[in-house]
Amino acid sequence: MIRRSKRPRPPDEVAFPVTPFLDMAFQLLAFFILTFRAPSPETKLDLYLPSAPIALPDSPRGVVKAPSLDDPDLETDLLVHAEADDKGSLASLRLGETPVDGVGDLETRLRKYARLIPGKNLRVRLVAPDRLRYEEAARVIAASASAGVASIRLVEPKGERR
Amino acid sequence: MRRRVRGSAPDNFELNLTPLLDVVLQLITFFMMLVHFGTRIEGETRAVRLPVTAAALPAGDLGLDRLVVAVDREGRLLAEDQTRTGQAAASWWTDQAKLRREGRRILGGPGDELPTVVVIRADRDAAYGSVRKTLAQAQATGFAHFSLVVLREERP
Repeated sequence: MIRRSKRPRPPDEVAFPVTPFLDMAFQLLAFFILTFRAPSPETKLDLYLPSAPIALPDSPRGVVKAPSLDDPDLETDLLVHAEADDKGSLASLRLGETPVDGVGDLETRLRKYARLIPGKNLRVRLVAPDRLRYEEAARVIAASASAGVASIRLVEPKGERR
Repeated sequence: MRRRVRGSAPDNFELNLTPLLDVVLQLITFFMMLVHFGTRIEGETRAVRLPVTAAALPAGDLGLDRLVVAVDREGRLLAEDQTRTGQAAASWWTDQAKLRREGRRILGGPGDELPTVVVIRADRDAAYGSVRKTLAQAQATGFAHFSLVVLREERP
């Protein structure tokens, strides 16, 4: 008969080696502190402007109609007209020929319109006078991009063409 | 005079590391959470105050081939630490396009359109016309991809 050997008794205290864990934690902390860059509020508006421009939409008088929601063949090229006052601030905005109440309204209308033509790329052409402040123009571009417009082009207004 | 007998120090002095470890792990978590939000677009300059746009726009990647320029409030082109206007700006764009085309020719890239992303930091008070003309100058030389740098909110 084999005698059962006595198992060694576990030690009274189990010591967890914290030091290597702490070393690694400090190394990670040093890495993140050294590579840390404060959050930036910067973002970007992407524009694709090929040198060969896409043809303007057909229109009998060369003017794009305001989008009609009853039209079964909805336009994918929209014109946004911005007017500036003497100081260069945004005086008025039009989507096609329809006046809109500021940049927020433009974004809402474009967003709704983009939902009506799923799968199609909505393109916007911004027609604005050169004296308009860039910040105002950037807001219009940002609102269009935020509404889901695929392509934004900047058009020189007719009166200012050389 | 009687001497006061001090109590003897304990044999085993153990530093309690647990709170220290807690703090360190919390700091690591904090930095790990913020590490993705620290994306900055290069070319920051004090000469230009970027416009603020209220619209929510995601900041995607810019790609490797980039050309960063700025437009100051007078509408002048700031590139490579120099200010250019008019014909000087136009010839600078031509040189940049030529340089990149040469690179593409060596590498055998397709098409005439340059894949370079032109990053433009334009001042908020610049005239829209000057920014549009800068874009048109670049566009005329073959650049087609542009990124206008804006702020989501005013800097603190």
